[in-house]
Amino acid sequence: MSATGIGASVRRKEDQRFITGKGHYTDDINRPGQAHAYFVRSPHAHAKIKNIDAGAAAGMPGVLAVLTGAELAADKIGNLICGWMIHSKDGSPMKMAPHPAIASGKACHVGDPVAVAIAETLAQAKDAAEKVKVDYEVLPAVADPAKAQAAGAPQIHEVAPNNTIYQWHLGDPKAIEAAFGSAKHVSRLDIVNNRLVPNAIEPRAAIADYDSGTDSLTLWNTTQNPHVARLVIAAFVGMAPEHKLRVIAPDVGGGFGSKIFIYPEEVVALWASRRVGRPVKWVAERSESFLSDAHGRDHVTHAEMAFDGEGKIVGLRAKTIANLGAYMSTFSSSVPTYLYATLLSGQYEIPQIYCEVDAVYTNTVPVDAYRGAGRPEATFVVERLVEIGARELGIDPAELRKRNFVKSFPHQTPVIMTYDAGDYDASLKKALELSDYKGFGKRKRDAARNGKLRGIGFSTYIEACGIAPSQAVGSLGAGVGLWESAEVRVNPTGSVEVLTGSHSHGQGHETTFAQLVSERLGIPIENVSVVHGDTDKVQFGMGTYGSRSGAVGMSAIVKALDKVEAKAKKVASHMLEAAEATSYSRTASSPSPAPTSRRRGATSRSTPTSPTSSPARNWSPA
Amino acid sequence: MPAVSMTVNGKAVTADVDTRTLLVQFLREHLRLTGTHVGCDTSQCGACVVHVDGKAVKSCTLFALQADGAQVLTIEGLATDGKLHPMQEAFRENHGLQCGFCTPGMIMAAVDIVNRKGHALEERTIREELEGNLCRCTGYHNIVKSIAAGARAMGGGAASQQAAE
Repeated sequence: MSATGIGASVRRKEDQRFITGKGHYTDDINRPGQAHAYFVRSPHAHAKIKNIDAGAAAGMPGVLAVLTGAELAADKIGNLICGWMIHSKDGSPMKMAPHPAIASGKACHVGDPVAVAIAETLAQAKDAAEKVKVDYEVLPAVADPAKAQAAGAPQIHEVAPNNTIYQWHLGDPKAIEAAFGSAKHVSRLDIVNNRLVPNAIEPRAAIADYDSGTDSLTLWNTTQNPHVARLVIAAFVGMAPEHKLRVIAPDVGGGFGSKIFIYPEEVVALWASRRVGRPVKWVAERSESFLSDAHGRDHVTHAEMAFDGEGKIVGLRAKTIANLGAYMSTFSSSVPTYLYATLLSGQYEIPQIYCEVDAVYTNTVPVDAYRGAGRPEATFVVERLVEIGARELGIDPAELRKRNFVKSFPHQTPVIMTYDAGDYDASLKKALELSDYKGFGKRKRDAARNGKLRGIGFSTYIEACGIAPSQAVGSLGAGVGLWESAEVRVNPTGSVEVLTGSHSHGQGHETTFAQLVSERLGIPIENVSVVHGDTDKVQFGMGTYGSRSGAVGMSAIVKALDKVEAKAKKVASHMLEAAEATSYSRTASSPSPAPTSRRRGATSRSTPTSPTSSPARNWSPA
Repeated sequence: MPAVSMTVNGKAVTADVDTRTLLVQFLREHLRLTGTHVGCDTSQCGACVVHVDGKAVKSCTLFALQADGAQVLTIEGLATDGKLHPMQEAFRENHGLQCGFCTPGMIMAAVDIVNRKGHALEERTIREELEGNLCRCTGYHNIVKSIAAGARAMGGGAASQQAAE
């Protein structure tokens, strides 16, 4: 192993610039001649836009343009889309309503953009935005997902009667009836998983720069996946052909899912830059982040767990209403379906699971993936049911969990997933030891004597990480393959550049990925640079979310390193007039001695204990 | 537009500014010192903390004109002669940062805590004093460790020593 390889404790390569104030976040970048954008946003949850009078605003000092949905439509700028098709149980496709980057006709949530002012300075843009007169006719609104489908509820989009986007299900409805019919006990739960605001510490931002000389656009954007942003903005919004649009995601200050998505503001910045012929910068204020970043969770669920006479779970069924907000955000449809119901087996052997999910529109900020996206929601349902079941059955909650853990692998759940390996007993045992579970009764009694209430709770958790492979997610409706790209360049002087489609916004890829290269090639991480976040540098990429950089992004780097190694062997074979070694099977994780310069070309990963790995054999003349 | 003069990281600067220019805007846009960040624009997150006349201040809540004549220190001025400040070193050694956006404000606030509370900081003190600085990545644990270590190093102790926890 290299001294800076996998598992070595090293200083992060990116830290030097962050601790000295030399990072380059989107708002730190300024373009010559840059103008500033400020949005006029709807103060109403649901309102018809009867008229917009931008005349006074347009005449304000420094104002370059005041643009509305009318101009956006006239310029034929396309709608934002949701890229994961979900079909209802009747086979019909999800009801995706138009999502223009600036509201046209009516505003559907507080914060929905209705106009934008472009001016020389941000202060002038703000002053102008204040003077835009919007004549609203306020409409009745619905914010509660449990009320969105009710008779008489305000209808938000024509394409979605009863505000229903899809009525999806997973599992066998007949088999679940039979399972519950045979049960000795059923525990029931009504649960709300509340909406939240992701709040990355760096607000979203965009700088768009139109180059009339080449008719091309460059976008600096706080995004977790620049290539997907380029794809959507080119293919669906129709802003520019893909090869005429460059998206750069520089240092990004946290994402947590909220920077996966393609948002109205970057679309408007691009469009405005072309219209006014100037670079246009937009940076969200924190209050705008609350009103315009995609929110997380927002489920209302009724769930039931059926047990036999021995406390074994025989079935689980759940009905969830998922609030997707006023428009369908980029991956919103997948979160309460394939990222949720597929995890409802938790760590337990549950013979039958049936889940129904109704996704609904409401007059609220759009909801999409946030930290775990669907999977924590599933765990919350399962674990609360187990806990309630334990209390109702009078069984210790740890014991009930143990009794139901999956114990033999591979294990096929009734909800798509196959678990290849696990030892859930061991984890729980360790947790019980660490928490002194046996001593809890005494601690509780002691606390009671002091007038305090003491409780104890625990949860088991399983998560499907990586959001891949392409074939699997494609079969479930994903509009893009969720693979990853990597390129490993060995420079003539021996230093290495890794170009990756993954994107770091705090994960530390510049260090971790360099450690992988260090491990494989035996060079220190100081000699490795990691390039990411630029569609003109990196061939393609699917970005970083769902814990996929390690599982998918690094796997792609390993594949590229395999090619580098194979080529190096050919070159070494030629230069040294020696046969290439062909009898070595290696894995990326197997240990190896620090390679010497002489051996590196032939076998950098040989195992010293293997007789076939002796340098003498490797280097025997052809 | 009125003129404003101050000393920033040891250099005298003068500029004509719009009266509503905030100190953070002056630093970032006029002086191009973009290490000071704006995370909330409502003086809650602390990403914009700088020192004004030796005291930690949220620069998004002060007009540039209010700092007229002041000595201002930003994250860019903390390292001297190419050598990191002990608090910067402590953040790096203790993995006290991830995305790095809150980090300049954290480090400037941390130095201020040490200036006010001394070099032997208890974990509880650090956590209380960090009330005005938000981080969304780390969960604060390693930031607290970093500050304890940085405080000791500022007093001449070893930065790599484990934090008192």
